[in-house]
Amino acid sequence: MERLQCKIKRFDGKQEYYQNYEVPYEKGKTILWLLTKIREEQDPTLNFTSACRHAICGSCAVQINGNAFLACNSSLDEILETFNSMKLTFEPLKNFDVVKDLVIVWEPKMEKMEQVKPWLIPSEEGTKEAGFIQSEDDYHQIAAPTDCILCGVCTSECNQLAVNDGTYLDPFILNRAYRFTIDSRDGSPEEHIRPVYENELWKCLHCMQCVTKCPKGIPLTDQIAYLRQESIRMGEVKNKGAKHAYAFHDDVRNKGRLNEVMLPIKTDGLVNTAIRKVPFALRMIKKGKINPFHMPKEVEGIRGVRELYKYAQEVGK
Amino acid sequence: MRYAFFPGCTLESAAEELMISTKKVAAALGIELIELEGWTCCGASHIQDVSDVLATSINARNISLAEDLKVDKLLTVCNTCTLMLRTAKLKMDKNEKMRNQVNEGLNRAGLEYKGTVEVTHFLWALIEDYGLENLRKMVRRPLTGLKVANFYGCHILMPPNVMGFENHMNPQSMEMVAEVLGAESVDFDQRLACCGFHAVFPAEKEVLDLTGKNCLSPKNSGADCIVTPCPLCQMQLDAYQPDAQKGFKEDITMPILHLPQLIGLALGFSPEELAIQRHVVDAIPILKESLVTV
Repeated sequence: MERLQCKIKRFDGKQEYYQNYEVPYEKGKTILWLLTKIREEQDPTLNFTSACRHAICGSCAVQINGNAFLACNSSLDEILETFNSMKLTFEPLKNFDVVKDLVIVWEPKMEKMEQVKPWLIPSEEGTKEAGFIQSEDDYHQIAAPTDCILCGVCTSECNQLAVNDGTYLDPFILNRAYRFTIDSRDGSPEEHIRPVYENELWKCLHCMQCVTKCPKGIPLTDQIAYLRQESIRMGEVKNKGAKHAYAFHDDVRNKGRLNEVMLPIKTDGLVNTAIRKVPFALRMIKKGKINPFHMPKEVEGIRGVRELYKYAQEVGK
Repeated sequence: MRYAFFPGCTLESAAEELMISTKKVAAALGIELIELEGWTCCGASHIQDVSDVLATSINARNISLAEDLKVDKLLTVCNTCTLMLRTAKLKMDKNEKMRNQVNEGLNRAGLEYKGTVEVTHFLWALIEDYGLENLRKMVRRPLTGLKVANFYGCHILMPPNVMGFENHMNPQSMEMVAEVLGAESVDFDQRLACCGFHAVFPAEKEVLDLTGKNCLSPKNSGADCIVTPCPLCQMQLDAYQPDAQKGFKEDITMPILHLPQLIGLALGFSPEELAIQRHVVDAIPILKESLVTV
């Protein structure tokens, strides 16, 4: 009979080590079945969390072979096929502190989430007596973000959090801020967006891990784009992120293509560029990678491109 | 084989060596690339932060230019260009409201998005259309002894509902191409890591840290060079490598090749013909050491 080779990262509060378990393969099972079987039949000291078994409570997410999964709704067979191997390495979610084995600490994340005021700030249009009426369309705006089950998969996969000092907000926190920002009953979207902006909103690397791995398919990266648009509408344009985005936006309107020579200056300012980017610029020029005299010409059909800009402005998105 | 070709902005300046090597390799393989007349920047994953409709519109325009060429596919050599174009295509094909809205703007520019052209990447086209066995027959100088670290870059893999060529958690396309060319693929921790390029200005410190890790990991696994299908990953890992080195005690030196350059070497081109001398981190010494007849 085929056997699964499971290597599980253990942590007893002091030491980290890997422990190996062998489990007879069974068809049509979930990852949670596998972990439960190990704990029930081989090692009652193995710690992991789980509760609902129906992808609602969000408590059983773990890393398998370096990727975060919700254990209860992940098919063992699909994972074996993906990695083309009977060997699975289990580790706790990344970018969390670990209590024991596969169990992570949520409290600091919840405290961090409070910064974005993850609650409804009622608008003046509603009252306790009359209630807060919402149209069907408005309701659908909040349907996807309210699907979040706080499983932590997005946090585990976030490449910015992996190198950040802890200021950058986890994708699920950004989702929560978005959820109230776009709620038609919320009277103060700025109170959710301001802390998002101030906590390094523009540091998202656009790696697409969060949106790829979210077990609920929440469009997290579209939400980040929306939060950035809103921060721009609030007047926050004098930062490197917004300036960088506008450098592309303006170059396409003006010429159709990016002017790589001017990009650092538009993003970072002339003085900063002169101080900090000179070694970079010199090595680029030496290799012919930057030609300071190259100015892109207008592309064929640039007038049509500018029509698209006018049109986008008219429809206002 | 005939494709509409979308070079993307970097190929016109910082990564001109990718333009040179792509054209040489395509010609040697008998692949005709017809550069789109009047293509614009894809937005490079930034313009949607200002306007969704605009980001979709400029790429729907790029795709419509390819449709006018009566080809089946629009080919790129950049992960992010591929993702931006495919994201726009998916929105146009699946979202009728968006399609009508964007087409209204395109009509003012005398264009229309019809949805008749697929968007592909050179790596995918080699496997899907050209065929690896046909590529194998074209190899003139097998890259025997060269240990390559395949750095995929995020945007050729994710999100899978837009990209979906292969499993994003365990892709094999780069390894398959390397095998055909005779090179040995080295496994390393950062194989599927993010290069961080898109946030190198607002998150410089973090991104340089990533760059160092991304160079050190294949180095410690014994790789001679990194190969990537994306010019933005290449620029981040190569041009910023001296800046990243400052944060690391260990020597992180790692030459970074574009995928078409690796293929070109196996087809018998010299490193100079593929403009490998344009890289910041000199790749030529290790290539001369590893490739017997260079």
